[in-house]
Amino acid sequence: MLTRVKSAVANFMGGIMAGGPGAEHGGGGASDLPLRFPYGRPEFLGLSADEVECSADHIARPILILNKETRRLPWTTGYAEVINAGKSTHNEDQASCEVLSVKKKTGVTNSTPNKNVSTKRRSSLPNGEGLQLKENSESDGISFHYWSLFDGHAGSGAAVVASKVLHHHIAEQLQEIVDILKNSAVPPPTCLGEDPESMNSSIRTLTRAASLRSSVGAPGSPSTPPTRFFTEKKISHECLIIGAIETAFREMDLQIEREKTVYNISGGCTALVVVYLLGKLYVANAGDSRAIIIRNGEVIPMSSEFTPETERQRLQYLAYMQPHLLGNEFTHFEFPRRVQRKEIGKRMLYRDFNMTGWAYKTIEEDDLKFPLIYGEGKKARVMATIGVTRGLGDHDLKVHDSNIYIKPFLSSSPEVRVYDLLQYEHGPDDVLVLATDGLWDVLLNEEVAEAVTTFLPNCDPDDPHRYTLAAQDLVMRARGVLKDRGWRISNDRLGSGDDISVYVIPLIHGNKLS
Amino acid sequence: MAYAYLFKYIIIGDTGVGKSCLLLQFTDKRFQPVHDLTIGVEFGARMITIEGKQIKLQIWDTAGQESFRSITRSYYRGAAGALLVYDITRRDTFNHLTTWLEDARQHSNSNMVIMLIGNKSDLESRREVKKEEGEAFAQEHGLIFMETSAKTASNVEEAFINTAKEIYQKIQEGVFDINNEANGIKIGPQHAATNATLAGNQGGQQAGGGCC
Repeated sequence: MLTRVKSAVANFMGGIMAGGPGAEHGGGGASDLPLRFPYGRPEFLGLSADEVECSADHIARPILILNKETRRLPWTTGYAEVINAGKSTHNEDQASCEVLSVKKKTGVTNSTPNKNVSTKRRSSLPNGEGLQLKENSESDGISFHYWSLFDGHAGSGAAVVASKVLHHHIAEQLQEIVDILKNSAVPPPTCLGEDPESMNSSIRTLTRAASLRSSVGAPGSPSTPPTRFFTEKKISHECLIIGAIETAFREMDLQIEREKTVYNISGGCTALVVVYLLGKLYVANAGDSRAIIIRNGEVIPMSSEFTPETERQRLQYLAYMQPHLLGNEFTHFEFPRRVQRKEIGKRMLYRDFNMTGWAYKTIEEDDLKFPLIYGEGKKARVMATIGVTRGLGDHDLKVHDSNIYIKPFLSSSPEVRVYDLLQYEHGPDDVLVLATDGLWDVLLNEEVAEAVTTFLPNCDPDDPHRYTLAAQDLVMRARGVLKDRGWRISNDRLGSGDDISVYVIPLIHGNKLS
Repeated sequence: MAYAYLFKYIIIGDTGVGKSCLLLQFTDKRFQPVHDLTIGVEFGARMITIEGKQIKLQIWDTAGQESFRSITRSYYRGAAGALLVYDITRRDTFNHLTTWLEDARQHSNSNMVIMLIGNKSDLESRREVKKEEGEAFAQEHGLIFMETSAKTASNVEEAFINTAKEIYQKIQEGVFDINNEANGIKIGPQHAATNATLAGNQGGQQAGGGCC
């Protein structure tokens, strides 16, 4: 059964991503492999090849926005992006935004390999068309909104693939539980396939049998059914959705790993995803992008960053448990600075996986190895290679000039935070801001909140572009203006030379949906 | 598509003077009577031929509204040509030319070719700015001048192409450093191939694709 589900999923994903050669075309060296998807900018921007070419201007760095009348994102979401100042030819950020409907899986008996219509992509370019479909599908399924940001590194391949595919994995996971989610009055059953009716009747039978026994006075009859006395955890619907998203992230990562044998999928990427489902926002983050809610001018953080510094203890513990992952070239201990040979035998400050504070240890020969985590802030790296510790892809990433793989230290698991949209009556200036690190590297949460709460009230509340303009304003504030000494923002601080991508999602739509 | 050169243009001027319409007429040969406000920057591109050379024009169409000025100002950089547009039926758009010109001169490279355009020449009955006034302003500030109509397509081709001719001329004269992309000029693959043919007198043609 499990195998069958798996192959159905594989077929389903394969069906969606039609157009590429199958495994039989897999011959040839790695560099000859075809791209999984061609490079481009987010589909919802609807840019032509010429426009993509224009946008890749590292000198003028044009801010791209959704400015075509025909292209609107759900909830009048605003989006803006800008390319880096020259660190890579392409803009390695990617984004996608979808409204998907998930229908109950059709019966197992008649499922055919390519039956992948049950999860249907309703509108890749949401423009209101999707809304009509919603009525039809709502009866036997549920729909969810999806916003995503991916920040690629060491190539754009993984970010492009994730932006095209991750939402299908989420839909696939939700499909498994759509019936349970629709039945909000009943908590998710602990074990599927146990018909609640028959369970009730068996309890009745048991009770009757017990009473019979007591009346007859024949305790300990050999036919007594086993009684369950153990306690059972109550699992909420919310937890089921979180689990679905977490599983989807892992499936996405595994798919990239599998397909690397037949496609050229370069690099890796962070992933920040928002799913709106049944009145709640699920914010899933794997990497160093960030989501904050700005409500009534106050900041509510909706994610935390996963970097060598924030995940030091997890990484150190893994290296401690599996020292071979360090290839005899790194030490899992952290020291305030590199240890010098002449310091062997002396006692120096250090910390291990079990510590947040510092202590002294006697320096040994092994401590001269390069530290697993080295550098501070944005310069902190795992094994001198990567500055972000969660995300998708990177399966081939190795420490420079070595055979040591980085991937075991990276995790595809997101942290998922939930925000109940219906618990608060939101105003038109209450928004969820999602952005890649290009924004957060140069602007504090409070500065972003200040910018948004200053900007939005000056826009007409009915202007369909108001959140787009707010996103453009944020990108402008983070990019700054090119002066003689580089890109500068307010107070003559250095602007971000990184790719910057920003969503501004109004929360007022939650009011209407309730 | 292969090109010998790529020129970057920027279109500037007050809101509603017809910047986006000029671009649409030039790239798509059509006119859009309903005015969609440009709220940042939009792009267009088209191939033209000058002296037998394929030249790709990459055109940045900017928002005219005052509130976007800080954003659009940053787009002057790396432009080889600018179309500065006013509306012949609205005197105020002509009066603002000096401000636009100051902005352009301050934020662009000094060799940028500027074409002054009096648009909406089809609306003769509502004319507020005489053609001679446009000519005089252009002469005084060293600009090229044309009156156009994005609606009837009158002079639209000429405006874009004459600007390109001027830039091409400057390249020939060695005024532009074509190896510096900040000047808004890129050498295309076709150009490189042509040079190879001239120099080596063999084999270069296949590599270049479309030949001039």
